[in-house]
Amino acid sequence: MDFSTSMSVAASGMRAQSERMKVISENIANANSTAATTGGDPYRRQISTIKSEFDRQLGATVVAVGKPLPDTSEFRSQYDPGNPTADKQGYVKLPNVNNLVEIMDMREAQRSYEADLTVMDATKTMMARTVDLLNK
Amino acid sequence: MDVSNIPLLSLLKDRMAWLSQRQDVLSQNVANADTPGYAARDLKPVDFEQALRNVTSSSNSAGALMTDDPRHMALRPQSGDGATADFPSNSTGNSVSLEDEMIKVSETQAQFQAATNLYAKAISMMKTAIGKTGM
Repeated sequence: MDFSTSMSVAASGMRAQSERMKVISENIANANSTAATTGGDPYRRQISTIKSEFDRQLGATVVAVGKPLPDTSEFRSQYDPGNPTADKQGYVKLPNVNNLVEIMDMREAQRSYEADLTVMDATKTMMARTVDLLNK
Repeated sequence: MDVSNIPLLSLLKDRMAWLSQRQDVLSQNVANADTPGYAARDLKPVDFEQALRNVTSSSNSAGALMTDDPRHMALRPQSGDGATADFPSNSTGNSVSLEDEMIKVSETQAQFQAATNLYAKAISMMKTAIGKTGM
């Protein structure tokens, strides 16, 4: 139990949030990725998972990133008969990514990351204060 | 006599240890701010005024501070006895309020700063007493 524990825990939170950002950016980048073949499925939205985990070595609850899970919701479909991947009725399946939802998620990840940074900053200041006692 | 056995210094040392442990718990809360089912935790507040009175009223050394008060902090905050939930948990069962945690973090930081400043002041007073110029 010391400052380095606080730093490690905050760092684990930051790692989890950056992993989440990675999944979000994948979703946004693939928001219009259609299937490669006719009748195939387009890109499926991924959901990042976060869980807490007790780290015995640190003696603290850190954040662990789980495997991203696929979003099982329906694909969007758009009428585009000229598209080579369109079905017989002329509809093309588009990914089940909603950009607005992704941007909301992104903001949340950003805020959580900033909060972790603030904790790290505060801990660093406290550590520096302790070291400063040597000068007195 | 050991310097760390001086009542005021040992009290400040305990204070700093408590604050550092609290920072630890707060960093766990912030890091797990998006973890489903995580309940925010905090340390039980220690009555430092009472502890100070104990130190100043008796010539007892620092060792007594650790055990004479039943309200002294638990060694492991993970045991859950200090768990608090100021805010209702959201749909994922997470009860961490980032704003609340940020306030607590800056509070802890300020209190730690106060403790280190007092510590430095006490040392410089001692230096003055032994005839060296303080600071």
